[in-house]
Amino acid sequence: MWLRLRNQNKKQVYQYDKVAQEGIYGTIERDLHANIEKVRNITGNSADIVIRRFLLGKEENLSSALCFVSGMVDENMVQQLLIEASVQLSFPSTCCDQLDYIEKKIATANTTRRVKQWNEVFSLLMSGESILFIHGMQEAISIAVKGGEYRAITEPSTQLSIRGPREGFTESLGTNVAMVRRRIQHPHVRVEAITVGEVTHTNVRMMYMKEIADDNIVEEVRSRLQRICMDGVLESGYIEQLIEDETFTTFPTIYHTERPDSVAANLLEGRVAIFVEGTPFVLIAPAVFIQFFQAVEDYYARFDIATALRFLRILVFFISLVAPSLYIAATTFHQEMIPTSLVIAIAAQRESVPFPAFVEAVIMEVTFEILREAGVRLPRTVGQAVSIVGALVIGQAAVEAGFVSSVMVIVVSITAIASFATPSFAIAVSARLIRFLLMVLAALFGFYGILIGLIWMTIHLCSLRSFGVPYMTPLAPLIPTNLRDTFVRFPLWALTDRPHGITEETNIVRQGDEQRPEHNQETRREGDEN
Amino acid sequence: MERACISARQLFMLAILFEHGSAMVIPLGVDAKQDVWLAILCGMVLGGGLLFVYYRLFTYYPRLPLTSYSQRIVGSFFGRVLGIIYVLYFLYIAARVLRDFGELLLTFAYPETPLFILNAVMMLTVMYAVYKGIEVIARASQLFFFSLYWILILGFVLIIIAGAVDLHRLQPILEEGWGPIFHVVFTQTLYVPFGEMIVFTMIFPYLQKQEKVMKAGFLALLLSGINLAMIMGMNVAVLGADMVSRSTFPLLNTIQEIRVANFLERLDVLFMIALIVGGFFKVVVFFYAGVIGAADLFQIKEYQRLVYPLGISVLFLSIAIASNFAEHIKEGLQIVTIYMHIPLQIVIPVLLLLIAMLRQGKRGRKPQGAREQRTP
Repeated sequence: MWLRLRNQNKKQVYQYDKVAQEGIYGTIERDLHANIEKVRNITGNSADIVIRRFLLGKEENLSSALCFVSGMVDENMVQQLLIEASVQLSFPSTCCDQLDYIEKKIATANTTRRVKQWNEVFSLLMSGESILFIHGMQEAISIAVKGGEYRAITEPSTQLSIRGPREGFTESLGTNVAMVRRRIQHPHVRVEAITVGEVTHTNVRMMYMKEIADDNIVEEVRSRLQRICMDGVLESGYIEQLIEDETFTTFPTIYHTERPDSVAANLLEGRVAIFVEGTPFVLIAPAVFIQFFQAVEDYYARFDIATALRFLRILVFFISLVAPSLYIAATTFHQEMIPTSLVIAIAAQRESVPFPAFVEAVIMEVTFEILREAGVRLPRTVGQAVSIVGALVIGQAAVEAGFVSSVMVIVVSITAIASFATPSFAIAVSARLIRFLLMVLAALFGFYGILIGLIWMTIHLCSLRSFGVPYMTPLAPLIPTNLRDTFVRFPLWALTDRPHGITEETNIVRQGDEQRPEHNQETRREGDEN
Repeated sequence: MERACISARQLFMLAILFEHGSAMVIPLGVDAKQDVWLAILCGMVLGGGLLFVYYRLFTYYPRLPLTSYSQRIVGSFFGRVLGIIYVLYFLYIAARVLRDFGELLLTFAYPETPLFILNAVMMLTVMYAVYKGIEVIARASQLFFFSLYWILILGFVLIIIAGAVDLHRLQPILEEGWGPIFHVVFTQTLYVPFGEMIVFTMIFPYLQKQEKVMKAGFLALLLSGINLAMIMGMNVAVLGADMVSRSTFPLLNTIQEIRVANFLERLDVLFMIALIVGGFFKVVVFFYAGVIGAADLFQIKEYQRLVYPLGISVLFLSIAIASNFAEHIKEGLQIVTIYMHIPLQIVIPVLLLLIAMLRQGKRGRKPQGAREQRTP
């Protein structure tokens, strides 16, 4: 029984860690046989726990056993280790401490440590190290031969870019951290290790730039991570939900990314990155609203293009938010606001449609959401079938059957495309939810309803905070210098300040003066003369 | 008082939105005919004087709202009575603005929707904002400030492109001398919207940098005065003084004149955005002041607990204060001005200031209130 009932009438108290370790208290015994039995017992004789018994040393006088979890260790290294230990190792005639000698002599390429406590043994064993038990020794040697198969570094699947590095994070924590460190080669990059999940013992790394990141924010992130106490943390989404400021909101207050360059850029702005073992998605906190409209590529492309794209994205977000509700409001309440010829065309089409605009819109939007969901979860080969059926159903058949008007099809398509064009999936999803609310409001009150909904949304956005930083920074509270990197993206040399409110205030300037490229007038004149 | 602080910039923007509020859309001071812009500017200048009175009061008690320092100035009992009167006044004006707003929506776009529903939807949003606190309101005002400004600029540009402006309609200036203008100033434009800055005596104490109140407040007053004068002047220039004085919403009629390239026409939605955003902030500020004042008077720690009861009261009050729009307008122009605006915006603050000055003078040159209140 893992969970013990303290009191039948009272609420159960979470005490996994305590119970789980109760059985494995104590220290290693001298008898090798007993130790092996213990390991077998505790792991329930699991099939993937390999216990390899062999005789240690050339003289073959020390019976010992190497314990490891198959698949989590590097098989080659284990093999080499075994050869080293059984064939090559020989004890000098006068030896003071055999264990010390063994530790120093074998596996010199790997880190080793001596362990005594059983709970330590098991946590190391489960994390993928091999444990060497030796008969007659009260200590075991743990050898880091972690390995096993991981997905190779590939292009990120969620945040593609035309220009920029092609590598995305993998499921391996060490690789991920290294990928970022390779980008910022400075000792001020701090990496803190935290283990969360009482059962899963998931490794989490918190990364930030000393001197740039605000100490209070770092401390806040750290303390929120340490608070987590639950069975399993399987993905960074778990952590995101456990440490975010506000649960009851559709807006993400923590950014997540699959791109190492994005993490590096955010670290340089003073944010904190949280890496979680087993997922390519790295969390970044604190996050502000405008961040979800920024793509890494904005900074790689020239500023005019980046600015144009930023505007486009904001526009696209609004379209995905309000397009169906505008249609409902305009056709139900405010026909006079549509140009006459268009209103006649719409009316002619809607003549055969049996539903009010709202029902029509809801039918189409829901159909679209179903299609999208089906497309996401299905295997790729079937996915094509979905899109064909979807195109036929949504596009033609529905209009021809008189279910919906073709204008509605256009509106839904624009909305759909717009929501795909929003760079961050997290914010696109929240727009999806709010869209339905706005549709209801539009059906009830027309434009008034939409405006009230948007005011409500704005108030809500303004009330959000991410790790103490107001969510709408730098728009509200307004920070003029940081407006250079919001709706517009000024030339790089003009982005002189790191984000105020996030970065340590005493260290806010991020580049030297006069970064603006100077035109070399003299060389040009010479060129003209020639 | 809530534990919060806002920046001078936020105060400035909140004040601008507040001043524009309903004043932008209603026929403000149209009795002055084509000189309505002059009447507004004169109202602004005199309103500046009133603001200075409020500002002086604030400098004596920089950490206290009106409802608290009235008790320090005229004693606990009379101060409390004054405080209650002001709280009721703020709530009543909130209800009035809400009614204005609902009626405007009703006549302009939703003839068949019940007034109560329109008001209720608005009031719920207002309550939500007030529940979130002054910091959130101030932050939201920064976002809406820019959207409102863009819309105003867009409207101006479009109307000029559409060629609807005829500056000759603004002539003759001062046709009947200064008399009618000052009549309008002292009966209308001084109180609404400029004298209504009295409500900011409840918000000034939240300011992070107290010395910036003066600058932010007066700049807001100046800018909104000029803007309102320009808007009303534009209305006259587009529609003519006669049309403006007969219209219920001159700005709407003006916007409807926009016809550009057979494409940009019937931009009523611009008017609607201006109306709703402006109305929203006006109700929010009044309602917030009322709620905070009540919480301050009755020593309620969490002012949020008052939001729902008072909000519902304001909602019902907005329906109950008049049986129809005509009655509502008449009340507003005659009774409210004489019995509420003049005493509460001018007489009492001036008296309070005089008493405060006398009291401070008696205690020596250094006003003790200014420093003492900083550590509550």
